[in-house]
Amino acid sequence: MILMRAQTIVGAVVQSKGGRSCFALLLLASFAVAQKEVPLPKDLPAYGPEKPLATPSVKSATLDNGLTLWLVSEAGFPKVALTVAVHGGLAADPADRPGLSELLSKTLDQGTRTRNAKQIAQELQAAGGDLNTSASKDSLELSAVVLSSKVDNAIAVLADILQNASFPDTEVTLAKRNLADELDQREAEPSFLAARARDRVLFSDHPYHVTFPTRDSIAAATSAGLREVFAQRFRPDQVILIAAGDFQDDKILATLKAALGAWKAPANPPVAPVSTPSAPAEHAIYIVPRPGSVQTTIELVTLGPKLGDPDYEVTQVANAIYGGTFGSRLTSNIREDKGYTYSPFARLTSYQRAAEMISHADVRNEVTAPTLNEMEYELNRMATTTPSVEELSKARRYLIGLEALRLQDRASLARRLATLWIAGLQPDQIGISGQKVSAATAADVDAVAKKYFPAHRSAIIAVGEEKVIRDALSPFGLQVHTVQ
Amino acid sequence: MKSTVGKFCGIYLLLICVSSHAAAQQWKAPTSMKKLSNGLVVVVSEDHSAPTFGLCISYGIGFRLEPEGRTGFAHLFEHMMFEGTPNAPKGVLDRVIEGGGGNNNGDTRYDHTEYIETAPISALDPVLWIEADRLKTLDFSVKNLENQRNVVEEEVRVNVLNRPYGLFFAIDLPGKAFDTYPNAHNFYGDFHDLDAAKIEDVQRFYEQYYAPNNAVLAIVGDVKPEEVFAKVDKYFSAIPARNVPPRPKVDESPQTAERRSSQTDQLAKVPALAIGYRMPPRHSPDALTAAVTGELLHNGQASRLYQALVKDKQVALSVDGGVNWPLGTPFEYNGPTLMTSFVVYPSNVTEEQLLAAFDANVRDLIDRGPSQQDVDRVVTKMRSDWYANIEDPIDRASALSHATLFDGSFDLVYQIPEDLAKVTAAQVRAFAAKYLVATNRTLINRVPAPKDKDSEGAKQPGAAQ
Repeated sequence: MILMRAQTIVGAVVQSKGGRSCFALLLLASFAVAQKEVPLPKDLPAYGPEKPLATPSVKSATLDNGLTLWLVSEAGFPKVALTVAVHGGLAADPADRPGLSELLSKTLDQGTRTRNAKQIAQELQAAGGDLNTSASKDSLELSAVVLSSKVDNAIAVLADILQNASFPDTEVTLAKRNLADELDQREAEPSFLAARARDRVLFSDHPYHVTFPTRDSIAAATSAGLREVFAQRFRPDQVILIAAGDFQDDKILATLKAALGAWKAPANPPVAPVSTPSAPAEHAIYIVPRPGSVQTTIELVTLGPKLGDPDYEVTQVANAIYGGTFGSRLTSNIREDKGYTYSPFARLTSYQRAAEMISHADVRNEVTAPTLNEMEYELNRMATTTPSVEELSKARRYLIGLEALRLQDRASLARRLATLWIAGLQPDQIGISGQKVSAATAADVDAVAKKYFPAHRSAIIAVGEEKVIRDALSPFGLQVHTVQ
Repeated sequence: MKSTVGKFCGIYLLLICVSSHAAAQQWKAPTSMKKLSNGLVVVVSEDHSAPTFGLCISYGIGFRLEPEGRTGFAHLFEHMMFEGTPNAPKGVLDRVIEGGGGNNNGDTRYDHTEYIETAPISALDPVLWIEADRLKTLDFSVKNLENQRNVVEEEVRVNVLNRPYGLFFAIDLPGKAFDTYPNAHNFYGDFHDLDAAKIEDVQRFYEQYYAPNNAVLAIVGDVKPEEVFAKVDKYFSAIPARNVPPRPKVDESPQTAERRSSQTDQLAKVPALAIGYRMPPRHSPDALTAAVTGELLHNGQASRLYQALVKDKQVALSVDGGVNWPLGTPFEYNGPTLMTSFVVYPSNVTEEQLLAAFDANVRDLIDRGPSQQDVDRVVTKMRSDWYANIEDPIDRASALSHATLFDGSFDLVYQIPEDLAKVTAAQVRAFAAKYLVATNRTLINRVPAPKDKDSEGAKQPGAAQ
């Protein structure tokens, strides 16, 4: 949303405190002094007693055909969030059809043997929802948030799509044309260009390098090809359905069994998971030319620990200190001190087999070089100094609180559970992660910061006017590549 | 000011009642309201489903009333509200809120500016203290103004100047559709005006509009109303009321002819058309029908315009829009507004072809009307969306605060689903015939600039006008 203090709120990622400039490490001693927190106001009331933040109570069931169900029943608010996740996404697409999953997700809800696209949209509208379909690297997801009084109707439509999606020729032809135009539109956005370059740089030949279909793969797609991939992936033993909201367990279970119990998994084995990518990123500059840009979009990107790895939670704590909050070092430095940018952020995004660490800032062309200097400085400062007691406790409390705030929203709870299942984890992971965040010590943070944060581990993506970027960044003395 | 206290079902259970009309499921949370002697209105809603709270304080000032020569100032000012006070210098606010496990933000709209926080309940007292503290005075610092001017100009670059389409449907369309400064100016701010803003402007604006008697504070979550009223009294009641300037008239002379113009875009790859129809005043009997019509035309794949333009005629790639879109719901404004359609279309389709298909659909709505079944489906979806809009404590606090600010009562928040269910197909048809006519609309067609990069005539990417 526009006209806000920052681009996002709950679930966001922003930054923090700090900042001198130029060859950061040389100035560390003096900076560390300048960094001391002022005392809080004398009459500011203390925090009240902590109440335990309950983790969601998830009931798990598996139907005879292998379909997994996770149900979170919460009486009161008259809505139900439904999310279906299917193993196999962009990374599972045939090598000669990169990004086919994107087209699959766009056509999945465009017809079944008994419903056309308009009927599907109208039936969901009559249940108070829309169907959102999306493709990510590891999965395909369908979700709808509907009135609890109409949840049976929504389940009927979802179940029909899961078993009987038909990919009509006319719909596929239209979707191909619109997707090709969407690719044109996306290529006008700096954030898309940065994401595409980032995945290519971080994952090179690994299937995770695909963010979106190419023009060739869109042109080559056919209804028959989509049906084939659909048949491979949409099988009950590779699918979870999550419901969160106002329903009775036994009633919704009966509805789900009636709608999905007869679905059969084929005898052949499911699509195999992808391998673990390992190629380290080169500390070099990758320019994505975008003529007419009045800003440079800068990203420092590297691989980090994935969800389920021992370092994952502590790295989230380190990231909150570095750039994951408003009060973080990066935001305090390049926004609140220097005014280079509006909504800088840093985040750790996990896939099934790898995780990306991203620092991001959109800055006016003139401050491209000083911004990169500060971002590298803050990364190195994380890697070489211990966070203050207040920084650490603030980051832990922030992450614990943020989790509680996210999980009270039914739709985000359902999506969150889907992410866990795709990663091969159970709902109790939410509690396990919370404990690890609470227990993180300064020494723990130091250890992960040394491991993941040194700036030389990161590749630098810069989207904007090529000449502006090339001239501004030449003093860094790094290899410069131009990518599209 | 009514005090509608909803202490139904026991102490903290939320109330659900299913009304006689089978489809109309109604939901309310116990909510109460109190006014302090300094004029601050406080709304509290209990919800013990999680040990958290959401808070929204809205002030009755938005960019519609920002001074001439100071476009973008209300929003720049909003940023200054986060820059510290003499008691709590810059940085303390984030330390306290984020250190309490919470999050905060602020946003500026046509007729209000809101400040929002959400956190575990243990942070309620310090957060209330922070909100009261920045209503006493600010750190009117030239250095911080300079800093936030830079930040806001980067915000304009990232959201307008460096982005395809540059929000022309939100900034330029009202600029063409309306004739007076309050409704027509660039609310994000011309850089010339942002650069001219002085610390004295910040101080004056604060003194004029940031008064307890121009604000509504709403708190939703794991709280007891009596306890919250006592806390608010403790932190806010010593802040004196102030004279707030009377609200000027912001009405427009009636539009008498269609307005059309075109723009070029350095960054966009495919063209887009924005269409804005002037809407009835917010409290007109037609306003609710306007909201339903806006949804019928624009909301989701089942909408008329998506089905007609993207699917049947295949002359568009995407359709978006609605009443007061994209800056709020159809219930949160207090002055002239538009029903906006933003349509992105393929390069091999002409503006005329697209407009002919659009007009045919609107013509059909006027000639034949929607079916009652169509309207019922849309209303069900709107009710469901409205509940989603008040699900999280922070969002419900916003909705309660805005309704109380604009209507003097929070009842609207729980009443909307019921009111929507009363809208009929005949009303929609009559509404379309009255408002969705060419003489009541403004169009801007925005096309990709010619590929020649040196063409001097081409506009700045995203530039308004």
